[in-house]
Amino acid sequence: MRALFIASMCAAGLWMGTTTAEAHHSMAGFDRKQTVTLTGTVQAFRWENPHSSIDIDVAGKDGKVVTWKIEMTAPAYLVRTGWKRTSVKQGDTATIMANPLISGDPGALFVSIKLPDGSVLPQPGGGKDKAK
Amino acid sequence: MAAAVAAASLSAQSLAPLNEKGVPVGALAPEAIAKPRPKPAFDITGTWLHGGGQNNPWQFAPPPGFKLTAAAQVQYDASKKAAAEGKAYRDDIGQCWPAGLPIIMTRVWPIAMIQKPTVIYMVSGFMNSVRIIYIDGRKHTDPDIVIPSFNGESVGHWENDTLVVDTTAFVDDHHWIDNGVPASDQLHVVERMKLINQGATLEIEYAMTDPKNWEGEWKWTKRWRRVDDQEITEATCLPDLNQNLLSTGPKQNVR
Repeated sequence: MRALFIASMCAAGLWMGTTTAEAHHSMAGFDRKQTVTLTGTVQAFRWENPHSSIDIDVAGKDGKVVTWKIEMTAPAYLVRTGWKRTSVKQGDTATIMANPLISGDPGALFVSIKLPDGSVLPQPGGGKDKAK
Repeated sequence: MAAAVAAASLSAQSLAPLNEKGVPVGALAPEAIAKPRPKPAFDITGTWLHGGGQNNPWQFAPPPGFKLTAAAQVQYDASKKAAAEGKAYRDDIGQCWPAGLPIIMTRVWPIAMIQKPTVIYMVSGFMNSVRIIYIDGRKHTDPDIVIPSFNGESVGHWENDTLVVDTTAFVDDHHWIDNGVPASDQLHVVERMKLINQGATLEIEYAMTDPKNWEGEWKWTKRWRRVDDQEITEATCLPDLNQNLLSTGPKQNVR
């Protein structure tokens, strides 16, 4: 049902354009042409203005766990694609698609998340996987 | 005599204009609201969001053939170099400085606009930044006592179907027109505002000069759509916000 709701919102164009993330600070530090896939355990989901954010612990190839900080848009826009404060919780296992920082630091710009129940939540202007 | 001195003292502290008795009267004072005035060409009251239509980007990019002053050119060149390295240049908004006029008008946050006979308040959903546009006939404050701000001091008057807003008194640092293009205390913004499309669209023609930073007058036309289904919310840039936004960190920013 949620997937249908999200699809209908997308079809109706009822989400913001691609510049939501531009609202607060510059996005120059992100590689918008690349998408990384981060699977791990959610440590925090901040439902706040001007930017919501998710911390997710991800095990690297060397087995070391790194906390990634994922930047999102504001809740008022997330709500339009079906998000709630409770959509993601500490302890959830999730897979996040995001545009990484050019510097290589463990930070990224949110594109979408696959939740434990299999549903996928994008953010407005997100869901546009830029992976080559 | 004592009353006149007291009134003068009050007016030096308050920016409200004096009435015929020499007493400062603010724009929201009942006597100011009640004063007979010509009917305004439009009522802008509503929630507005920049966007829609063709050729309406949020940026106030320099126009073709622009010429910067030497000091501004240094900043502009540095911003291009930073961009080539995948970094932001002096992204003050990202460090919680106010966006300031004109950029505050084209953020992707709704703006609540409230019009009274004497004043228009614009409250952005972005950092709850407020613009105050006086339309009660007052002139700009004496430059020796005006308080510089990021949104400037705005006074407006009606010309047929257009509200002409003149804004001066800006701060002299941490204020940008576009990436690498600074705004100074010499910035002067003139906005010609009108409602089109049966009141569904706000169109503003911008004309800006800043002799400290560029030559001549730069112009843009931007449009906003009325969004009756949206509200503004509280949005504050707090000191610990950026801990969770690594893109605001030093590796991604040239300061």
